Amino acid sequence: MSWLVPVPVVLPLIGAALAVLVGRSRAAQRVISCVILTVTLVVSVVILVEVDSNGAMVAHSGGWPAPLGISLVADRLSAILLVLASTMLLAVLIYAIGEPGAERNHVGFQSAYLVLAAGVSASFLTGDLFNLFVAFEVMLTASYVLLTLGGRAEQIRSGMTYIVISLVASSLFITALALIYAATGTVNMAHIAERMADLPLGITSAFALLLIVVFGIKAALFPLFFWLPDSYPIAPSPITAVFAGLLTKVGIYAIIRTQTLFFPPESQHGTLLLVVAALTMAVGVLGAIAQDDVKRILSFHIVSQIGYMVMGLGLFTLAGITGAIFYIVHHIVVKTTLFLVGGLIEHAGGSSRLTRVGGMVRTAPALAVLFLIPALSLAGIPPFSGFLAKLALVDAGLGASEWAVVAVSLVVSLLTLFSMMKIWAGVFWNPVEDHSDDEYDAPPLPVGRLGGPPFMVLPTAALVVCSLAISVGAGPLYDLAERAASDLLHPAAYIDQVLRP
Amino acid sequence: MTGLVLLHALVAVLAPAVGARFGKRVFALTVIPSLATLVWLAVHLGDVLDGGAVTETYQWVPGLDLALSFRLDAFGALMVLLVSGIGALVVAYSAWYFPHRPDLGRFAMLLCGFSGAMLGLVLSDNILLIFVFWELTSITSYLLIGFDDTRESARKAALQAILITGAGGLAMLAGLVLIGQQSSGGTWSLDEIVHNAPSEGAVMSWAVVLVLAGAFTKSAQVPFHMWLPGAMAAPTPVSAYLHSATMVKAGVYLIARLAPAFADVGLWRELTAGVGVATMIWGAYRALRQHDLKLVLAFGTISQLGFLVALFGWGDSKLLFAGTAMLLAHAFFKAALFMIVGVIDHQAHSRDLRRLSGLGRRLPATAIIATLAAASMAGVPPLLGFMSKEAGFLGFADSLHSGADLVLAGLVVGSILTTAYTARFLWGAFAVKPGAEDPIGAEVDRPLPPLIIPAGLLAVASLVGGLYAPLADELVRPAAAALHEPAGEYHLHLWPGFTLPLLLSAVALMGGLALFALRRPVAALQRKVAVDNGADDAFFALYNATLRAAARITRIVQPGSLSFYLSAVLITFAVVPAIVMMGDWEVPDGAVWAESPFQAVIGVIVTVGAVGATLTRRRFAAVLTLGTVGYGVAMLFVVQGAPDLALTQFLIETVVLVLFLMVLRRLPERFAPRRTSSLRAAHALVALGVGAFVFAMALASLAARTERPLGHEMSEVAYAEGGGRNAVNVILADIRAFDTMGEIVVIAVAAIGTAALVRAGRARRDDEAVPDEIRAGVGVDDGGDGR
Repeated sequence: MSWLVPVPVVLPLIGAALAVLVGRSRAAQRVISCVILTVTLVVSVVILVEVDSNGAMVAHSGGWPAPLGISLVADRLSAILLVLASTMLLAVLIYAIGEPGAERNHVGFQSAYLVLAAGVSASFLTGDLFNLFVAFEVMLTASYVLLTLGGRAEQIRSGMTYIVISLVASSLFITALALIYAATGTVNMAHIAERMADLPLGITSAFALLLIVVFGIKAALFPLFFWLPDSYPIAPSPITAVFAGLLTKVGIYAIIRTQTLFFPPESQHGTLLLVVAALTMAVGVLGAIAQDDVKRILSFHIVSQIGYMVMGLGLFTLAGITGAIFYIVHHIVVKTTLFLVGGLIEHAGGSSRLTRVGGMVRTAPALAVLFLIPALSLAGIPPFSGFLAKLALVDAGLGASEWAVVAVSLVVSLLTLFSMMKIWAGVFWNPVEDHSDDEYDAPPLPVGRLGGPPFMVLPTAALVVCSLAISVGAGPLYDLAERAASDLLHPAAYIDQVLRP
Repeated sequence: MTGLVLLHALVAVLAPAVGARFGKRVFALTVIPSLATLVWLAVHLGDVLDGGAVTETYQWVPGLDLALSFRLDAFGALMVLLVSGIGALVVAYSAWYFPHRPDLGRFAMLLCGFSGAMLGLVLSDNILLIFVFWELTSITSYLLIGFDDTRESARKAALQAILITGAGGLAMLAGLVLIGQQSSGGTWSLDEIVHNAPSEGAVMSWAVVLVLAGAFTKSAQVPFHMWLPGAMAAPTPVSAYLHSATMVKAGVYLIARLAPAFADVGLWRELTAGVGVATMIWGAYRALRQHDLKLVLAFGTISQLGFLVALFGWGDSKLLFAGTAMLLAHAFFKAALFMIVGVIDHQAHSRDLRRLSGLGRRLPATAIIATLAAASMAGVPPLLGFMSKEAGFLGFADSLHSGADLVLAGLVVGSILTTAYTARFLWGAFAVKPGAEDPIGAEVDRPLPPLIIPAGLLAVASLVGGLYAPLADELVRPAAAALHEPAGEYHLHLWPGFTLPLLLSAVALMGGLALFALRRPVAALQRKVAVDNGADDAFFALYNATLRAAARITRIVQPGSLSFYLSAVLITFAVVPAIVMMGDWEVPDGAVWAESPFQAVIGVIVTVGAVGATLTRRRFAAVLTLGTVGYGVAMLFVVQGAPDLALTQFLIETVVLVLFLMVLRRLPERFAPRRTSSLRAAHALVALGVGAFVFAMALASLAARTERPLGHEMSEVAYAEGGGRNAVNVILADIRAFDTMGEIVVIAVAAIGTAALVRAGRARRDDEAVPDEIRAGVGVDDGGDGR
C-alpha cells in the first residue's frame, strides 16, 4: 500500500496543472478541484486506517533507498494531520466557491489553492529535511499568491510583511539545514536522528533550539509571532480560514516531529518550551481581548492556542504529547470553522468590526448557532472538543507537577472565553453602534433562512458537525492520539522502518 | 439518566422552531422533559429512599477517565425533585408571565437546556462529568441573563456572571483533576472518592481550596457574590429558577457531596464556615438597603446560600441533615417569592417598594401566598424553614469541633437580619404606605389565577412540610444519609421542646422585628457607613485594568513595524541557541582562513559589497553593490570547482539585476529618509551578531562531524546506478527529483501570482493605486511603516 503515500502530494499538483489548462472554464476548474480534493481526502483516510493498523508506510522516491533518496513517510501523526488537512481544504474550497467574489475574477485561485494543498501534504509526509524545506516553499509561495489575489492596497501591504518574514524564515531554515548537514552529513530525517546521537550534547542542544526557532516563526511562537495578526485578517475569509487552520499547524508539526525524532531526551528543552508556551498563550490572548474586529480577535487566538500545543510537547510525557496532538486535531477544525463564520458575519453584516454589526441573534439565528458552538469549543467549554483538549493538557500538566503552566493555561482559557463573549455580545446581541460610512465595508446583504449563501453555510455547518463529532468520538480519537504520541516518544521503530525496510 | 438529559437537549433544539410557529404554546413542549423526569423519579423514589441507588455508565473518553456515569441516590433524588419540580412550575409560570414576543422559542430553548444541564449536574457520578454540566449551566445562565440583549445592563451583568463563575469553574477543574489523580485507586467516581478516605498532603490541601473557589463563585459567596444581584437583569422566571432555586445551589451541592470526606482536609472547614457566615450576614445586611423587591430577594438569596455553605461545609452528619432540610425549604420559599415579585411586576409594572402601596388589599391571594413563603424564610413556626433552622442551630450547638460556638453566634446574627429583611419585603410589597411619593396600588388588577398557582403550590409545600414534619422527614433523612452515614437518628421536629435552638429562633425573630421597627435609624446608620459596592467596584477595576494592560502589551509587541519583527526573529535565532552552546564552541581540525589567495580576495569583495549595500542611500547603487555580492559568491563556486553551480548563480544574479533595474524606474531614486543613528547602530549590531553566530555555528558543526557526508556517496552512485556522468544532473533529475519537482512548482505558482497581480494592477491603473502601492510595499524595506 505504500504507493499511496505520495498520492496526497502528487494528485493536487496534477489538479493544479489541469486547473491552469482549463483556466477559461470556471465550472471545469471547480469540478477538477473538488474531485481532486475529495479523492485526496479518501486516500488520506485509507492511509490513516492502514497506518494505524499496520504501522508506518514508507515510499522512496525514484526507488532510491534511504538515506540517499527522498523518503516519504506516513506514520500515525502524519496520517491524522493529512486527513484533517484534506477535510479542511475541501470544505473551504466549497465555501470559496459559494462566496461571491472569493475565487471568481481571480486567475489562478484554484491552481494556487491546489498547490497549497500539495505543499501542506508534502510537509506532513516527507521524511527528508531538505524536502521539508521544499515542501514549505511550495506551500508558502502558494500562500503568497492566495494572500495577495485581488491586489487591494492593504492586502499587498500586509502581504508584504508576511512575505518578507516568511522569506527570512526560509533562509534561516536553510541555514539551520546546512549546519545540520555539516555536522551529520545527511538530510534524511531518520538518518539525522541516528547520527545526532553521536554528536556532543552542546551542539545537539543548539540544533534543537535552532529548529524550534526556525519552525517557531511559522508556528507563530512567542516572540516570533508578530507577523501573524498583522497579515492574516486582511486576506479573504476562506484564505484566512485555511491559513489559520493549517499553516501554523504545519510549523507546530515540524517542531513536534523534529524535536521528538532528532533529539535524545537530555538535549530537549522542556522547561524552555513550557515558558515559551505560557508566554505565547498569554500574549496571544491579551492581544485578542484588545481587538474589536472578529477576524483580528480570531487571529490573535491562533497565536494563543499554539501555546497550548507547545505546552503539551514541552511536558515530553505520553499524556502531554497526546494532549498536544488532540489539541491540534480540535484546533484545526474549530479555528477553520470560526474564520468561515467570521466570513459569514462579514457577508451578512457588511463588516467584521464589532461596532458595525449587531443584533444578529434575531436577524441571522443560524449564524448564532454556527458561531456559538465552535466559539465555546475554542474557549474550552464542555462538552465541546476544546474542553476535552484542554482537559487532556491540564491533566497531563498536573500529572507532571508543572503547576505554573497549568495555571497560566487556565487563566488564558478564561480570557479566551471572555473574547468569545465579546464577539458574541458585539455581533449577535448589541444593536449596531457605528453607522458611519466606510469605504472598506460592503453593504449588509439579505441573509435568508440559512444565514448566507448555501454553499458558504453548508461547509461551515459540516465543519461544526465535524467538531461535534470530535467531541462525541473523543474516546477512540484520544486513543489514536495516544498511539501516535507513543510512536513519537519511541522513534526507533520509525528510524528502522525508513532505513532498514 | 443519559436518556433524560438527551431528552432535554432534543426538546431544547426543537424549541425555537416551535416557538416561531406556535408562540407561547412552546412551553407546553418544553415542560415535557421535566414532567418525564418527575415520572421517572417517582418510579425509582421508593428504592432510593430505602438507601438504594440507580446507576448507569457509558464510556466517553476512557483515556481521560471521563465517563458518562450517572448515579441517583436519595440526595440526588431531592435535587432532581427541585430541578424538575420547580422547573415544571417555572415553565408553567413563564407561559402566563410573558406577553407575546417573537423570541419566546429561544427563551424556552435556553430554559429547557438549563434544566437538562442542571439535571445532569446533580446526577453525575464522575467528577469530571460534574464539571461538564457545571459549565453548561454557567453558559445557559449567561445567555439567559443577557436575554434582553438590547439593554446594556443586561449584557454587562451577563458578562460579569460568566467571568466570575467561569474563573471559579476553572479553578475547580484544576482541583477536581488533582483530587482524581490523588484519589486512592485512581478513581474518578464521586461516590468512591467520598467513601475512600482521601490521601493527605499539600496537594490535597490545594485541591480542596481550588474546588471551594469554584463552589463559592457559583453559589455567590462573598467576595464573589456581586454577579448574583446583576443577574436579576434576567426575566423573573429565570431569577426564580436559576438564581435562587437551582443553579446557585450547585456550589452548595458540591460542598455537600464532598464535605463528609474533605471537611478535615486543609482549610476546608475554616473556609466554608468563615465565608458562609460572612456571606450570610453581609447578604442580609445588603438586603436591608434595597428598594427593588427583586434585589431584596437577590441579596436574601446570597445570605441564605451562605447559611447553606456553613451548614454543609462543617461536615458533621447532624449538620448535613440540617443543611438538606434547609436546602429544600429554601428552594420552596425563595422560588415562590421570586414568582410573587414577578406577579407584582406583571400587575403593577413596578418593583419599587417605596412606591408600591396597598397591594395587600388589592391582591389578597398573592399577599397570603407571599406571607406564607416569607414566614418560612424568616423561620416562623410551623413552617419548613423554621424546623430547618432549628436543626442547624442544634447541629452547631452539639458540634465537637472548635469554633462551632462562634459560627452559631454568627448564624444567629444572620438570622436576625433575615427576619428584618423578610419583614421589609412583606411591608414593601403589600403594606399601605401613607407617605409614599407617586404611589402605585389603587388601580392594580388581580392576576389571572394560573400566574399565582405555581407560587401557591410552593408556599403550601412549605406549610405542609412544616405541619406534617414526618412527611418532610421521609425525604430529608434518607437524602442526608446518602451524603454520609449518620451517627444517630435525626428528625425534623415541629415542637423541639424548650431547648437552646428554640431560644435562638425566638431571639432571631424578635431581634429581626425590632430591627425592622427601628428601620429609619438603621437606614440612617447604614448610609453613614456605606461600603456597599466594594466587591463590585473591585471586579470592574480588575476588569478595566486587564483590558488596559492588554491594550498596552499589544501596542508594545505589535507596533506594525517590519524591522522590529525582523529584529525579534533574528535576535531569537542567534541568541537562544548561542546560550546553550556556551563552552562547546570548537574549530574543526585543520581549518584555515582561506585555501587560496583568490578566496581571500573574493571574500573581501563580497564583504565590501554587502556593507556598501547597507550604507548607500541610492536604490540604484544598492542594487549594484548587492550584485557584487552575488557575483562574488559565484566566483567562489568557480574557485571551489563547481562550474554548474557558478553558472546557475551567474544566471540568477543577472536576471535579478535586470528585473531590479526595471522596477527601479518606477521608484524614487533614494530610500526614505534615514532613521536615528542609534536605531541604525542597533540594526548593525543585530546583523553582525547573526553573522558571527552563523559563522561560529558553522565551524562548530563541522568540528562535530563524525561521519562522511552523504554527498560523496551520491556522486559515487550517480554514475554507477544513475547512469549519468554529471553527478549534479543525476542528483537534481533523479536521486532528488522530488525536490526539483517542488522547486518547479514554486516557480510556476510564483508566475501565476505575478500574472494575477499584474492583471489586478492593470485593471485599476487609472486610479493611480498601483504605483503607490508598489511603492508602499517595497517601502517596507526601508522603514517601519508596515501598518
